[in-house]
Formats: sequence, structure tokens, C-alpha cells
Amino acid sequence: MSRYERIRMSHGSGGKLTLELIEDLFAATFASAPLKELCDAAVLDNPGGRLAFATDSHSIKPLFFPGGDIGRLAVAGTVNDLSVMGAKPVYLSSAFILEEGFPIAELTKIVRSMKATADEAGIEIVTGDTKVVEKGKGDGIFINTTGLGFIPDGLKIGPQHVRPGDVLLVSGSIGDHGIAVMSQREGFEITLELKSDVAPLNGLIETVLAAAPNIRFMRDVTRGGLAAVANEMVMRKPFGVRIFDAKVPLHHDVVEYSEMLGIDPLLSANEGKVVLAAPPNEVEAALAAMHSHPLGQQAAIVGDVVKKPEGRAIVETAYGSRRMLEMPIEEQLPRIC
Amino acid sequence: MKNFSPDIYKDPTLVARLKQRIAELAQEFKEPVKIMHICGTHEHEMGRYGLRDLLPDNVEVLAGPGCPVCVCDTEYIDQAIQLALSPEVILTSFGDMLAVPGSIPLKGERKGDVRMSLLDAKARGGDVRAVYSVFDAAKLAQANPKKQVVFFSAGFETTVVAVAALLKRGAPDNFFIIEANYFTPPATHLLPELEGFDVNGFLLPGHASAITGIRIYEHLPDYGIACASAGFDPVDVLAGIASVLRQLVENKPGLENTYGRVIQYDGNRKALAELDEVFARSSKRWRGIADIPESGFQLKGKYRRYSTEERFAEVLADPPERSVNEHPKGCRCAEITLGLARPDDCPVFDKLCTPDNPYGPCMVSHEGTCRAWYIYGMGKERIHVEV
Ligand code: SF4
Repeated sequence: MSRYERIRMSHGSGGKLTLELIEDLFAATFASAPLKELCDAAVLDNPGGRLAFATDSHSIKPLFFPGGDIGRLAVAGTVNDLSVMGAKPVYLSSAFILEEGFPIAELTKIVRSMKATADEAGIEIVTGDTKVVEKGKGDGIFINTTGLGFIPDGLKIGPQHVRPGDVLLVSGSIGDHGIAVMSQREGFEITLELKSDVAPLNGLIETVLAAAPNIRFMRDVTRGGLAAVANEMVMRKPFGVRIFDAKVPLHHDVVEYSEMLGIDPLLSANEGKVVLAAPPNEVEAALAAMHSHPLGQQAAIVGDVVKKPEGRAIVETAYGSRRMLEMPIEEQLPRIC
Repeated sequence: MKNFSPDIYKDPTLVARLKQRIAELAQEFKEPVKIMHICGTHEHEMGRYGLRDLLPDNVEVLAGPGCPVCVCDTEYIDQAIQLALSPEVILTSFGDMLAVPGSIPLKGERKGDVRMSLLDAKARGGDVRAVYSVFDAAKLAQANPKKQVVFFSAGFETTVVAVAALLKRGAPDNFFIIEANYFTPPATHLLPELEGFDVNGFLLPGHASAITGIRIYEHLPDYGIACASAGFDPVDVLAGIASVLRQLVENKPGLENTYGRVIQYDGNRKALAELDEVFARSSKRWRGIADIPESGFQLKGKYRRYSTEERFAEVLADPPERSVNEHPKGCRCAEITLGLARPDDCPVFDKLCTPDNPYGPCMVSHEGTCRAWYIYGMGKERIHVEV
């Protein structure tokens, strides 16, 4: 592999170069037993019980951003999708679509970052795939990850379990990833103290569920931010959700930068925060559990589930006034004024 | 780590005091009081902070012609679309303009009198790119010397200042602008003359007045209209409203600057001088409203070479077929822009017309009244919560 500095079409041909790439980079770095066998499918142990299964494709610009990179994002994203269903993520697949000419040094960095994130989450990357597309036909690199997790018995998590009176919590500051990445985009390139919060949340979530097993709803905050999660929770349901905006933890860079660009921080993305709805008698336990975990230091109560307005998310401001919280429509773009 | 309200202009205690003050002043009026702002950002912030909730029932704040996207003449939008579809052109624009329908009919795609927007041009292969500023557009021109880079220069005084600054310092030879910049004061002067216009006070624009100053509004009080320039944080907006009400209570309509930390009475002279060097004032069509003399910016002298109208005269001489109605059939943007109707008076608001499928221009921009009403749930009633 070190014979080349950049990805060539033959790296995706299924021939010698593909094998080299898999053996020397992917299998060597991910170091899982099934992957080392180089078989067509990973054969896995099954501890029994219900399975959770999730897939997600990742593309991001820039590939490396403050606080993370596309590799960390690809692993954490799928781990988090499984975790918020109450599952313990165990196995991950990883499929790469590489653009011809993509520097192998960058690929190596990304693959190492995936391995480090997988280790952090305590999961294994057990199977994968590589395709190469012609120069100009891809954005450098796309990564798809698919994950398997096992769901312990007894958990009832989902919007259908939510009830008016439940309390909404977040595990930390909102909007970090979106603003950190936007600050690096073409035309901005400003330096902030802020970093993306991209992180696998399974450890934090396991801690919370141990302390508060009757959590009714969980969702990791991704694109669309807290606004999207709040709306998804109540959409077409006979209840609504109210968020107290003054209680939402925000990094000062997020406050200032979003103000400058006319962006609502509640619509800005995270990649390492979870929102959950807890029944009133488990709120304290859930909050304390989050505070006890390194990723939940700034966890806070941010709202509650209300009978009316039905199906809507609203914001109650520090002034006692109210507004709707929109389901985000498009990517947040700076405005004319 | 901070929560919302990072500074005193968002301070809840101050807001509560101003709310109280406004309530007291409002008691002095038997008739409802109508205050119009002329800045889309004011409408947006009214929604974002739910400020109408804090006002007494007899004080109404109306949105006036403060959204540059909404008043931008269809001719410029159509021109942008036409240029975007020329293979030699990269069309750059603020994100806000991309979904605004112009007047080129788009048949058979969606319901109603649907018109083409820049997004439709993009879907048909046009190279359309959103930029954050005119400087990004100029950089793009530098990086693509074989292409003609066109910047759709929509906006009010605030954005045209940056264009003047850039052109004065010199822009690449392959860089051009569509001159769709509007000057707000002449439109404001027109309002009191309109039939059916009954407004007791104006909140003068915050950003635009930072450039123009407010001396140019000196004659508005002659109509009995109380004026206050106001900023955008909740304390700023409420302080502006309180100022207008106090002037009315004292029966001394005047011109007060409640945004002194940003606005100077005579404006930003340096920016104005630069503006005058690059642009002349010209008559411009305000979409669906009127041709307003002196209300537009047009490149002058040696700067005319940056005008798309010069460079692309040939292409533009052959425009596509256009609809004669400025606004799509049934859209009430024109009345809404003048404060003569409210979004919920429009029969297609929140039905045929939503932000993800805008039918009229006021639903596109964040500064647009219809969009602000839609996304923040503004309407006749305070949002009812039952726990
Ligand atoms: S809702 Fe507003 S933008 Fe939409 S059609 Fe009606 S007036 Fe026009």
C-alpha cells in the first residue's frame, strides 16, 4: 500500500491493490478477528435477545474539523443511533467510497480515527467494503457504517411511551458540531475555542439507563439540532413539548457565532449529545447519572411534555413569551442582513 | 458556557421593566395604536423572542417594507435565472434569494401559478452558488478566470456598502453584479401618502440606519407619526416601542434614536461617501408596490463595467417569456409588505404556501413576514399551553 500515495482506480478493482488496502490498512488497523479472516461475511456470536440494526452514510466538508473527522463521525453516528434505542452496540461494518486520487495518508488518518473511536465505544469493526470512483465523481471519501446492537429486556423507549408531564433533558451544550464545522467552511475559516462534540454516546446512555430504566424517549441530536428532535418526538402525537430556551446549555462561541450569522442555535447540529424524556420520578436520577459521566457534565433540564399544543414544539423564552419551534426546513444558511 | 441572554440587551429584568412601562403608556390610549417597523430583521426578532406576547392588546406592531428579498423586482430575479442558465456564468447569490420565484412561468411542476426560482435554474443545470458575501463571490471569480462570475447583489444599504467597498478597491475582470440594491428611505416616505395607511408610529430600521443615519426621516413626524430607530435585541425593540408610545402620549411626535450604540444621527459618512462614489441613486421598481424614485442603487461612471446590464446586454436583450403579474396569482405579498394585510389574511398561508414550498416571495426569506409568521407561529392569539 505504501507504494502509492494516492488512491487509484485499481484500489477498488477487487484485485491485488484492493487486497493490499484491506490487509495493510483496514484489517491491520481495525484488528478484529472476523475482519482478519478476510471472508465475504463476518460470522458473529449472538448473545440472544432483540437486535437493533442501523445504517448511516457520512460525507462532510471539511473532512477534518476541530474536534473530529469523518471517521470519528461515521463510527459515533451509528453507535449513537443504536444506543438511543436502548441497544448496546457491538459490531460495525464500514464501507468506503473513495475518489481516485484521494491521499492515502489522509485515509490512514481517518481509518485510525475510526479505530480509536470504536475502541472508545467498546465495539468491533468486523466487515467492510471499498469502492473507488473516478476523479471528480466523489467528494474525496464517503463512509457508510452499519451497526448491530443488542437490546436488554424490559426497556420501553419511543415517542409512543411519552406522556404529558415528562421532563426533557439534554446531556450537554447544544449546536456545537454545526457551528464548529461551519466555522471551517470556505469563506469563514475562523478560529473558535469551540470543538465539535462528536463522540460515541453508548457509555453515557448505559449509565443513564442503569439509573433511570424508565426513560421514555431518547434521540441523539444530529442535523436539525434540538428543534428536529423535539418535533420528531411530538409529531402527530396527542401532546406537545415546551422548551425553555434560557435553560438550554450553549457554548459561548455558539451564542456569539450564531448571533453573528443569524442562525438559531436550537437548529444547529450536534454529534455527541442525547435528548431524553424522563418520567417525573426518574428525572433526578437521570440528571445525576449524566453528571457523573464525562460526556454529561453540562446536562440540564430544558423542557417538559405538555398536553397542548398537540403535535407541536414550542419555546418559552426567559421573558415568558412563546413561539413555535420549527421543524428545520433546510440547512442553516446565513441571511442577507 | 453561557445561556441565552449574553448581554444586557437581552436581560429579562430589563425586558420585564420595559413591558411594564409599555403597559402603563398603553393605558393612555382609547384607540388601538399601530406601530410599523421597516426592517425584516425586526419581524424575525419579534418572532424569535415572541415579543408580541409582551405587548398590551391595544398595541399592534406591523411589518412594513423591510425585506429586501420580498421587494426585489422580478426583472432582477429573471435576469439572474437567465444568466445562471448561460454556460459561461457562475451565478452567486445570498442563500435567501435562491428560492424566490420571479416571473418566468414554470409549467406543470407544482400547483398554482408557479414561477421559476434560481433553485429551479440550478436543477436545470445552471451553476448557482450560495455565498456569504460579495467578497466570496469575487474570490470565486479569481479562482475561475475562464468563467464569468455574477453576483446577485440584492439587499438594502447595508449590503450595498460592501459591494461599493469591493469595487472601489478593484474586482476581477470576470466579475459582475446584478444591481438589485434598494435604498429604504424613499419607500418609507411613500407610506404615509398611501390610501388606507393608518399607522401611529415607525420603528426605523436598525442596520440600514447605521449607514444612512436618521436625519433623512426628519419629515415623517410632520404626518403625526412618532419615530424611533431601534436595534434588534428584545430590550432594543421594546425601548423603541416605548419611545414611540411616549411621544404619542405627550402628543409630540418626533424622531428619537434609541439605538445610539450603533446609529448616528448623520449616519456613517465614510461608508456613504464610498457608496456615492460607486453608485448613483435611480428609480427602482419595488415588487408589486410601485416605481419609487431615487430608491435604488445603480453603478455609475467607470464602475458600470461591472454591471451585468453592460456585459450581458446581448443575452439580456432576449429575455424568456414572463408573466405580467408581479406576484403569483392570489399571493398578497404586496399588501403584506405595506402593512395593509397580515399573513394569516392570505388564503394560501400555511396551505399551498409554506417555507419548504414557497408560493410567494414573503415566504422565502428569513426577513419575509409570511415566513417569520409561519416558523414562529405568530398570529392573532398567544400560543396556548396546557400542562
Ligand atoms: S402566504 Fe405570503 S408569500 Fe405565501 S402566497 Fe400568501 S402572501 Fe404570498
